[in-house]
Amino acid sequence: MSIYVSTSIILVAMVAAFVLSSIFLKSPDISLAITAAVAVLFGVGFGWTDSFSRVMVEGLFVNLDTVLLFITASIFVSIYSETGAINSVTRKLVSRFQNKWILLAFMGAFMLIPGALTGAGSISIFVLGAMVATVVGAMGLSKKKTAAFVFMFAILSAAAPPVNLWAMMIASGSDIPYVGFDLPLMFPIVIVSIFTIIFLGWGSKRKSKEEVLASLPEADEHMSWWRILTPLVVLIALFLASNYMAHVIPVLGLPLMFVLSAIAAVICNPKKLSIKEYGKIINNTFEQIFPLIATVLSVGMLQNAMSASGVKGLIGITFITLPVIWIYITVLFVAPFLQGALNYGSAVVFGAPLIFLFNSMGFDPKIVAVALSLIFPIGDCLPPSRITGRLAVEAVGYEGKYTSFLLAVLVPCLVLGLIALAMMIWPNSFTFLI
Amino acid sequence: MVFLQNVIYYIYMAFAAISGFFLVKQLFKREKHKGIVNDIIYAYCIIPFLLRILQIK
Amino acid sequence: MSLKMEKSLLVKIIALVCALVLACLAGIEFYDHRHTKETVVAAEGLTEMHMLSEWVPSLKGTFGDTPVFFFDSGVEGGTILYVGGTHPYEPAASLSAYVLLENIKVEKGRAIVIPQANRSATTTGMLGNAYPSFYEVETDWGTVKFKNGDRWANPLDSWPDPFTYVHYPSNVSLTYQDIRNVNRCYPGRPDGSLIERVCFGIMEIIRNEKVDMAIDSHEAAVMYPVVETYVAHDRALDMAMMASMSLSAEKFYMKCEASPKNLRGLSHREWGDFSDTLAVLMETPQPFTDWIVGPMTPTLQTEGKDEFLDTAAKHGLTYVDYNDDFGSPIRYRVGRHLSGAQEVISWMNQMMPEKEVLVSWPTYEELMEKDCGYFLHDPAKADPSRVFDI
Repeated sequence: MSIYVSTSIILVAMVAAFVLSSIFLKSPDISLAITAAVAVLFGVGFGWTDSFSRVMVEGLFVNLDTVLLFITASIFVSIYSETGAINSVTRKLVSRFQNKWILLAFMGAFMLIPGALTGAGSISIFVLGAMVATVVGAMGLSKKKTAAFVFMFAILSAAAPPVNLWAMMIASGSDIPYVGFDLPLMFPIVIVSIFTIIFLGWGSKRKSKEEVLASLPEADEHMSWWRILTPLVVLIALFLASNYMAHVIPVLGLPLMFVLSAIAAVICNPKKLSIKEYGKIINNTFEQIFPLIATVLSVGMLQNAMSASGVKGLIGITFITLPVIWIYITVLFVAPFLQGALNYGSAVVFGAPLIFLFNSMGFDPKIVAVALSLIFPIGDCLPPSRITGRLAVEAVGYEGKYTSFLLAVLVPCLVLGLIALAMMIWPNSFTFLI
Repeated sequence: MVFLQNVIYYIYMAFAAISGFFLVKQLFKREKHKGIVNDIIYAYCIIPFLLRILQIK
Repeated sequence: MSLKMEKSLLVKIIALVCALVLACLAGIEFYDHRHTKETVVAAEGLTEMHMLSEWVPSLKGTFGDTPVFFFDSGVEGGTILYVGGTHPYEPAASLSAYVLLENIKVEKGRAIVIPQANRSATTTGMLGNAYPSFYEVETDWGTVKFKNGDRWANPLDSWPDPFTYVHYPSNVSLTYQDIRNVNRCYPGRPDGSLIERVCFGIMEIIRNEKVDMAIDSHEAAVMYPVVETYVAHDRALDMAMMASMSLSAEKFYMKCEASPKNLRGLSHREWGDFSDTLAVLMETPQPFTDWIVGPMTPTLQTEGKDEFLDTAAKHGLTYVDYNDDFGSPIRYRVGRHLSGAQEVISWMNQMMPEKEVLVSWPTYEELMEKDCGYFLHDPAKADPSRVFDI
C-alpha cells in the first residue's frame, strides 16, 4: 500500500477519533490524547512504530518546559494579585488618565513588552492580563472585545522583536542569521496595534471614574508604588539581565524568574499571610490552570504521534507541493491551523521548506520568514490547543461562546494576516526595512 | 558559574517534583474539574514530572 | 465511606496505576536509550585515548565528557582532527568516525578523532519527532545497534534553557535550544553551559594540539540547500573547492560554500576564527531529518527511502538528485564522508606540504561495495586495550 494511502487512512481515523471523543467525552485534552493514541496504534499496526508507550510518553515531554513556565507564571500572578497590587495600580491608572484612547494605547504598549522580551504571548497575559482586562473593561469595551484586545496584544507581543520564536526557529532551520529582523517585525506590529485599538475601542463609552472605582475592591492603604512595582521590576530586570548580561549570570530560565518575582511579591505584600495560606494559593492555582497543563501536554503527544505515523509528512508534502498561487491562497488558513495543532513545531515543519521554496524564486528569505512568523501566531486561538486564546478568555473572565470570541478577533487577525501575506507576495518591496 | 548552574538545575528538579506532587494530590482531592475523564487526564499528566525527577527522561 | 466515594477512589487508583504502567514501559526504553553504550575497536595505530574533561575538568563525570582518540605515526607532519556526532540525529557522521577510527592507518603526522562530540545528545531522541531509539548495522559477527540521538543535548544534562540563547562572544541571539547545540556554541566558554564547555574543550584540543585541519561531519535534509556540501572557513576555501571539483568529477557530486561571516557559533566559522586551523564542515543527504517525510522508522534512517520526498524531488523541491528507488543509504552517506575527508586532506597536503598528513581509511567505493558492517570489528575478539564504550 502506498504511504499516501496508509497515512491518509490514519489522518481520517484521527479526525474521526477527535470528533467522536470530543462529542462523547466533552474534553479537548483527552480527545487529543485519544487521537494521538489512534495514530500511534495505526503506526504499530502498519509495522512502522515498535513501541506505543515510548511514542506516547515521549510526546508528554515535548512541552514540559512550557508547562513549568505556565505553572510558575500563574503562581506569580496569583500571589501578585493577592497582594492587591493589580487592584491598586488599576485604581491609580483609572484615576490619573481620563482619555480612553490614551489608556487603551498604554495598555497595548504595556502588553507588548513582556512577550517581546520573552517570545511568549502567554507571559504578557500572565503578567498584565488581569490589570489590562480591568482597565480596558473600564473603557467601556465588552468582555468579548476585552478578551479580543488581550489576545491580539498577546500574539503581537509574541511576534514583536527582539524575541520572535517563530522567526528564530525558521531562521535556525534555514541558516539565516537572526539579525535585521527588528524593523520588518515592528512595522506590521505597529500598524496592527493601532488598528486593533481603533477597531475594538470604536463606539465604546468610557465609564465614569467614580463608577469604575466603585466597581473595584477598596485599595489597601499600605499598597505603595514600590510595593506595586518591585515584583515587576524584579521580573523585567531578570528578563533584561538574561538577554543583555547573558555571559555574566547563569541561565535562570523563565520559570525561575517568575518564582523569584513571586518571592519579591511575597516580601512586598502588605498583608502578612502564613505559609499555609500561600500553600493554599498555590494549590488553587494548580487547580485553575490544570486544563491548560492538560492541553499543552496532550498537544505534545499529538505532535509526536503525527511524526511517528507520517501524518505530519502527509500534510507537509500536500501543502508545499501546491502551486505557489495556492500557497498564497491557503497559507492564511493552513498555517494558523497548524499552529493550533503543532504550536512552535509549525514553524519548524513548514517554515524552513517554504523559505527555501521562496528563496529559490529570488524572494528575500528574511521578509518571508517575518511574514510567516506573523501568520503562525494567529493560530494561537484555534483548536485543538488554542492556548493563548483560552488564556485571554480566562484572564478577562469572558463566559460567552468561544466562537463569538473568535469572531471578535477575526478582523484584527485578518488585517495582520493580510499585511503578512503582502510581505510574502512582494517580499522584495519590504527589504528597505532590513 | 558552573556550581551556580548546577544549583539551578536542582531547583528545576524541585519545581518538577512540586508540580508532580500537586497533580497527584489533586488527582485524589480537588474542587474543580471533577469526573472520571479528568481523573485519567490527571493520571497521565503526572508521567513526565515523575520520569524527569527520576532522571529517566 | 459511601459506595460512590469508594468507586470514585477506585477509578482514580486504576487511572494512576495505568499511567504508572505506561510510564514504566516507556521509562525502561528511555533508560536503555540513555545508558546503552556504543562499542568500538580502535585501529592498531591508536597511541592515546583521552577524555575531553582533561581539557575542561568541570566536564568530568557528566554526559558532556567524551573520548578523544589519538593516532600518531611518529613521523613529523601535520595534525588533522575528525569530529563526528556533533548532531547525533545525523548518525552517518558518528558512524563514519567509528569506521574511520577502527580502520585508520597513519603514515605521517597525527590524526585525532572525536566520534561523539555531543555525547549527551546521543542519550535522547528529538522531542516531537518520534525517532526510533536505535538503528541497526549488519556485520559478519552479528547485528550492531547504534543510537538515533538528538540535535541538542539531553535536558537531563543541561536544564533549564534560557528564553533566548545569546551566543558568546558575538552576543547574537539564537533560538533557545541552541544553548544545547554543539554547532552553535563555538568557541565556547570554560565556565558556560554544558555544551559551551564541550565546545571550549574541542577548541582547546584544536589550539593546544596545533590541529592543522579540522573536519566536522554532519548530515543535512535533502530539502536543505546546504547538502552534499563542504562549508569551508576562508583559509580552507581553496582546498575545499578543489576537493569538491575532484570529487564531483571522479566519485560523487559535492558542492563547496564559503562559511558566512555573520552566522555565529558554527564550527566552520569559529574554529577558523579562534584558532589557526583550516576548518571544514561536510554535509551528506539524510532524508530522516527532512521536514515532510513519512513514518519515522529505523529503515528510513538506514535506507533513506521515502515516497513523500520522492514527490518533493519531482516538484524540484530537493537540493539533491533524489529518488526513492535508491534513497540515501547509510553506506552511501558514510562513504561520502570518508572520501570527502580524505580528498580535502589530500588537497591540504598538496597546497601546504609542510603540513602533510598521510592517512588512509575505507573509501566511498569500498563502503558502497561492502557496506558499513564489514569495517566494524568484533569487540569480543579484539585486543581489550583497544575496545572502548562510548
